[in-house]
Amino acid sequence: MVTIAAPATLARPKTGGIRLEHIVMGGAIASLIVLVVLPLASLILGSVSSEDEGFSVGNFVRAMERPLYYRALINSLVLGAWTGLFSLLIGLPLAWAVSRTNTPFKGFIRLTASLSYLTPPFLTAIAFVNLFGPNAGLINAALRSAGLDFLTFNIFSMAGLVVVTVLHTFPFVYLLATSALESVDASYEESAQILGAGKWRTALQITAPLVAPAVLSGTLLAFVNAIALFGSQAIVGIPGRIYTLPTRIYALFDYPPQYGLASALSLIFVAITVIALFLQRGYLARRSYVTLGGKGSRPQLIDLGPFRWVMFGFTVVVFLVAIAAPYASLIGVSFIKSVGLWSWENVTLQHYRFVLFQYDVTQRAIGNSLLLAALAASLAVLIGAIIGWIDLRTQLTGRRFLDYASLIPLGLPGIVMAVALIQFWLATPFALYGTIAILLLAYTGRYIPLGVRAANASLRQVDSSLEESAHILGASWLQTMRHITLPLIRPGLFAGWLLVFVPAIQELSASILLFSSSSITVAVAIFNLYETGYIEPVSALANINMIIIGVAILIANRLGGQRATTSD
Amino acid sequence: MARIQIDNLSKHYAGGQLAAVQTFSLDIADNRFVTLLGPSGCGKTTTLRLIAGYLKPDTGTIQVDGTVVSSPEGVTPPDKRGMGMVFQNYAVWPHKTVFENVSFGLMIRRLGSAEIRTKVMAMLDLVGLQGYEDRLPSQLSGGQQQRVALARSLVVEPGILLLDEPLSNLDAKLRERMRSELKQIQRRTGITFVYVTHDQSEALALSDEIAVMHLGVLQQYGSPRDIYSRPANRVVADFMGQVNFVPGRVVGTGEARGRVALDGGPQLPVDVPAGMAHGDAVDVAIRPENIRLGAAGSGNGASMPARVAELTFLGNMNEYVVAGANEARLRVQTHPTVLFGVGDSVALEFDPRQCTVFGRQAG
Ligand SMILES: Nc1ncnc2c1ncn2[C@@H]1O[C@H](COP(=O)(O)OP(=O)(O)OP(=O)(O)O)[C@@H](O)[C@H]1O
Ligand SMILES: [Mg+2]
Repeated sequence: MVTIAAPATLARPKTGGIRLEHIVMGGAIASLIVLVVLPLASLILGSVSSEDEGFSVGNFVRAMERPLYYRALINSLVLGAWTGLFSLLIGLPLAWAVSRTNTPFKGFIRLTASLSYLTPPFLTAIAFVNLFGPNAGLINAALRSAGLDFLTFNIFSMAGLVVVTVLHTFPFVYLLATSALESVDASYEESAQILGAGKWRTALQITAPLVAPAVLSGTLLAFVNAIALFGSQAIVGIPGRIYTLPTRIYALFDYPPQYGLASALSLIFVAITVIALFLQRGYLARRSYVTLGGKGSRPQLIDLGPFRWVMFGFTVVVFLVAIAAPYASLIGVSFIKSVGLWSWENVTLQHYRFVLFQYDVTQRAIGNSLLLAALAASLAVLIGAIIGWIDLRTQLTGRRFLDYASLIPLGLPGIVMAVALIQFWLATPFALYGTIAILLLAYTGRYIPLGVRAANASLRQVDSSLEESAHILGASWLQTMRHITLPLIRPGLFAGWLLVFVPAIQELSASILLFSSSSITVAVAIFNLYETGYIEPVSALANINMIIIGVAILIANRLGGQRATTSD
Repeated sequence: MARIQIDNLSKHYAGGQLAAVQTFSLDIADNRFVTLLGPSGCGKTTTLRLIAGYLKPDTGTIQVDGTVVSSPEGVTPPDKRGMGMVFQNYAVWPHKTVFENVSFGLMIRRLGSAEIRTKVMAMLDLVGLQGYEDRLPSQLSGGQQQRVALARSLVVEPGILLLDEPLSNLDAKLRERMRSELKQIQRRTGITFVYVTHDQSEALALSDEIAVMHLGVLQQYGSPRDIYSRPANRVVADFMGQVNFVPGRVVGTGEARGRVALDGGPQLPVDVPAGMAHGDAVDVAIRPENIRLGAAGSGNGASMPARVAELTFLGNMNEYVVAGANEARLRVQTHPTVLFGVGDSVALEFDPRQCTVFGRQAG
């Protein structure tokens, strides 16, 4: 009943020629090299060469000899250490409360953590300057007028910097700790209990060691992220004369720019980051046995009794400090004619009118930011998908190297990425510096690791036999990608897209060195406006920025959710 | 519908450390149902993937109808081979309905939608899935998914169909039914089937020819009957079901059949492999069902005395473990009515036509 047609194409003996997939793969590899490898190489070259002597380590010697520079290094380390510690002290109890106890309102804890992570740290910094600036800070002023001078707090200090930074970094510990706590198989704990260990003892002797690697790894991530944040370190650190590596590197670009020294300092910065990430990966690798627990029955929740209200209170405090206070101050200040006069007649929309319609930078900046974030997210996910595909689905020699190369940007703080790109592109005949293109390169490069990781994770879910069975039915590589692979990994890729889009739209650390008046972004516009000292319009612009981020996330979520369901 | 000639094929993994397939040669005639059989890890899947073109051989060639499609220099990619493959895990696309799964290959071949519909419906009929065309794979049972995979490969009318343990995930009943369906489909279509399994009863039931593999090396290629009753070596004898190796000594060669004297037992007229001399120590392989169990003293002298050590009732038979000469243990299967008690003295009679002689040391 089935008639057989002899396949006509069988006579082609060999692959021989170049197929489409080779071109696509080549393109992804080339872009990775241009985006990451070459800029890093020219950063290294730039650090060891000087105009007159050729090869020299003079830049490194100067960086380590001059107090100006080694203090920045020490400050960065001190900031990272305190931030790591406090991220642990805040993130771990919250994680434990959510995953292991009967603390009420867990949704509220989750919300607090995600909002803290989503809020751009430079906005938190501006808000805290509004509140705790030594002279004009609202709370400080209020305290002084109440005669409580001893309670005032100077935000322009290391302590202030740590507070502002921790509010952004504790979610790293929180997230890793929660996922570890939730993946510990209940049978580990139950078998300890059946041997006579009480709940608390089990928590300390069984659970704690099992999740310790994940917690440490989260702490190290907090460290790495903390020291890389340019915005908060500039806004809170510089007025307090606390220079850190990013702000010192930034200062080196004042005229006349000292590229060599900036490169050397950048490389030292990279070294710290890479060491921390190396440790972090080591800890994360040790975590793997947690998830090997088996069928994953849910652990029993610990009944905290009245103490659960203490945990809840703790969350409320974190929410007040990390979310409520900064947003209240930004919103409040943005609707007031002038700070200090609090009455209904004083409420105004003039600052919004100003930043939206009179300050000619804003609209351009919003357009640029949206365009850059959308393009960078798409490119990072696209390149990431191809690289992840090469790594998982081909036998290409050197694909491991490709995988590592795609992780390099994790070790490059934003400002270092900018220095590397400037070094590289200034040495080429292409006049990219000052254009929006160089910002796109910076963003795409910075966030490629996120794209690769998202693609990798979703590709791992798709068994290669699903692709192979399309091939043997005669589908070419492109047809297989279009009909099988991409539809299957689309939800994962979309999550990756959002994961890039959100930080990209608030990127400041690299943009601050790369922007020009035509390629300015929202984050840079806010920073510049803040530098001029007008706190009310800055607050208005900050709120507009948050609305844009929120709306973008909403739209993206909606689109992504729809596509994932309707196509099936 | 196509002949496959595999010549001297090798494939190594782990940087050449591990030989998954070694100097493998096989000539699969047109229209045949051929099974690759062997224990886990013996290289069956690797061989199949070499045939499909997913892997490039380290040495050797694969020809289809006289055209080289795989050699160390290059491989015709799977999408240009016109083969079909049913994967061990079905690989039914979870985001496509049954209809979309089955019609995919036809769509790739740019058939008209009316023609696609007719062909797909006919194929769904054939595998007994009519009425299921709008379901998603997640709404199907394992056996139904497997039939989707089968339909998807068959509908494009491949010359060769490769199947990698396609029945391993089914329950015994369904497996039984799918076996006969597969067999029928192969007969009806004339497609050359290359079927991978580690289940010897499945191989025996389905195949025109069986290729037994062990550690990447082809051990024997022949009809199911040959493989079962004339194993080429101990490995094959051992793998194709239970077997006793009874020690003995060659006492006669040269005639039409040689003679082997079992230790502590009778002389049997059996084929003695070429090159064996009088007095050589051998092992005689004989399957449990080919040994007759009788009361002590019965069996007109050509029997081996033994004692019942264990008895297990298996429903359709009794399985005995008996201690023969030098306390050597033998496994014997009898009709359930042949009943002896543990400790009873018995006599073992061997069917010489079912015996295979192997040299003592050599395999
Ligand atoms: N991608 C690979 N990399 C390294 N070794 C492999 C790879 N695939 C298979 N092997 C090894 O090659 C040998 C043969 O594997 P193969 O999958 O062909 O076995 P198989 O006969 O299909 O076994 P099973 O019945 O378990 O499916 C095994 O030792 C296996 O571990
Ligand atoms: Mg296999």
